[in-house]
Amino acid sequence: MKTIIEKIFSRGAGKDVKPGDYVWVNLDLVAMRDFGGPNVIQEYESMFGEHPVFNKERVAITFDLHVPARNEKVAINQRLLRDFTARQGVRLFDINTGIGQHILLESGLVKPWDIIVGTDSHMNLLSAAGAAGFGMGTTDIAGAMYKGKLWFHVPKTIKIIIKGKLQKFVTAKDVILYILKYLKTDGALNRAIEFSGETIEKMNLSERITMTSMVTEMSGDIGFIQPNQEVIAFIKSRTEEKVETITSDPDAVYEKVHEFSVDSLKPQIACPHSPDNVKEVTEVSGTEVNQVFIGSCTNGRLEDLKSAAEILKGKIIKRGLRLIIVPATMEVAKLALKAGLYEIFLSSGAVVTNPGCALCTTGHPGILAPGEVMVSTSNRNFIGKLGKGAQVYLASPATAAATALTGVITDPREV
Amino acid sequence: MIIKGKVWLFGDDVDTDQIYPGKYLPLTDKGEMATHAMEGADNGEDFIKHVKKGDIIVVGKNFGCGSSREHATVAIKGIGVSVVIAKSFARIFHRNAVNTGLPILELGQVEKIKKGDVLEVNIENGEIKNITQNKGYKAKPVSSLEMEIMKAGGLLQYLKQGIR
Ligand code: SF4
Repeated sequence: MKTIIEKIFSRGAGKDVKPGDYVWVNLDLVAMRDFGGPNVIQEYESMFGEHPVFNKERVAITFDLHVPARNEKVAINQRLLRDFTARQGVRLFDINTGIGQHILLESGLVKPWDIIVGTDSHMNLLSAAGAAGFGMGTTDIAGAMYKGKLWFHVPKTIKIIIKGKLQKFVTAKDVILYILKYLKTDGALNRAIEFSGETIEKMNLSERITMTSMVTEMSGDIGFIQPNQEVIAFIKSRTEEKVETITSDPDAVYEKVHEFSVDSLKPQIACPHSPDNVKEVTEVSGTEVNQVFIGSCTNGRLEDLKSAAEILKGKIIKRGLRLIIVPATMEVAKLALKAGLYEIFLSSGAVVTNPGCALCTTGHPGILAPGEVMVSTSNRNFIGKLGKGAQVYLASPATAAATALTGVITDPREV
Repeated sequence: MIIKGKVWLFGDDVDTDQIYPGKYLPLTDKGEMATHAMEGADNGEDFIKHVKKGDIIVVGKNFGCGSSREHATVAIKGIGVSVVIAKSFARIFHRNAVNTGLPILELGQVEKIKKGDVLEVNIENGEIKNITQNKGYKAKPVSSLEMEIMKAGGLLQYLKQGIR
């Protein structure tokens, strides 16, 4: 009678665990990135010197935040990581690859049951593939790299059932924003979530990633979706290792169960300065916008770009507005190129930059001037995250694209 | 371990961008990091100017939500704060604090504590004396596994000693 997280931790700990336990578990993969990574290396080497990492096949470094290096300090940090890779022989995904978690997924390094830790707070989106991903600080990651194990506090699980058929231009992003409106930013504090129900079962991998990535915004440890055949097929196509699916037991114990019906759900938008400050798009439509960003680990996959392209096709963005589109990975970029999306984006007046995290956070070209307004498909709109005094709204790629055409916040069903 | 210090108050849901603004993320020098502790929070500048070694931060719920940046605990510890007392902590911040040896305690009645109060805090058993108000509170004691890690001086020392 275990939930998914209880099963995964029981396997990782080699004994039966229950919520509330503190346990040591074995790790399947340890990841770090260009931000945070350099601190990990410094910690690691100052404590353990040249000591080899626990398993070089199971340590991955990804470059996604400040790519290509935007100043000398970043260049030095990236150099430090490349040198470490050369010394230790761990895996490196350089600036021409994309957002770390997506790269790990695409490279076959993630499968159901895996326990994976990394330096990004949105590692938990790996649960879209049935794996347990956790974002952690530098000390944790340095320790993980040394020992291949870490301590965990086993969380209780909340179940969220979602029923109904989504209307056209209403997406997984609208669903998760709607849930955030009710659960709030601490609604899943120190908890795991399991999403289920007919709406979820039908979601493709990209939609599952959108859902699970934003569990971080509810302060949840992780949010699982039981992999369907499509997800399992995706994983199997990329790894030689055995892929076993994962489900919770029918009599698993949940702390709470929430049910949402989404048949009549309308496009949602999170207003400044909190991801749970959610309204219907129509409640704020007409708000003037200076910039639109489509991308991030939450909404940067091919299906997200296609959804934006459907709206932008044959049209030109509002004069004076900046539209910045960033594919999550190079694989996504190549597929978008093949599908003709670059033609649509570039003709519409958008700027398309290289794969990476881009305008999810400061540090990337494109931040805002004080008082400017941006609609973003990313996952956070904390105050100051994209420039002092900037106003950030979070929405789906469809809402973002519709807004880019009109220059004011716009319901995608109206263009 | 008994700690005595003066209280600085901050609110609920103080996220890591308030504790340590994203623009300083490329910094790797711990001393430099410390000079930006709480800079993005309300009264952050006042705090940085006047905080003294041993002072105590008292906050509401979900302290340290947001990103996984460990700069947050490193900066708070570096600027001299001796313990953070919160109604609740975000998971990553909680871990980072244990792993870097920044003492933290969870206390239900944080609202009773006022800015400038002097507290005497026993980290091991969670007993807190409010000397200014002449009151006492009992915080949730830290788990034994976490206490072991903190006592070893942090996670890396713990692992290196081969306890695990
Ligand atoms: S897009 Fe943002 S949240 Fe996602 S991995 Fe990158 S920095 Fe983290």
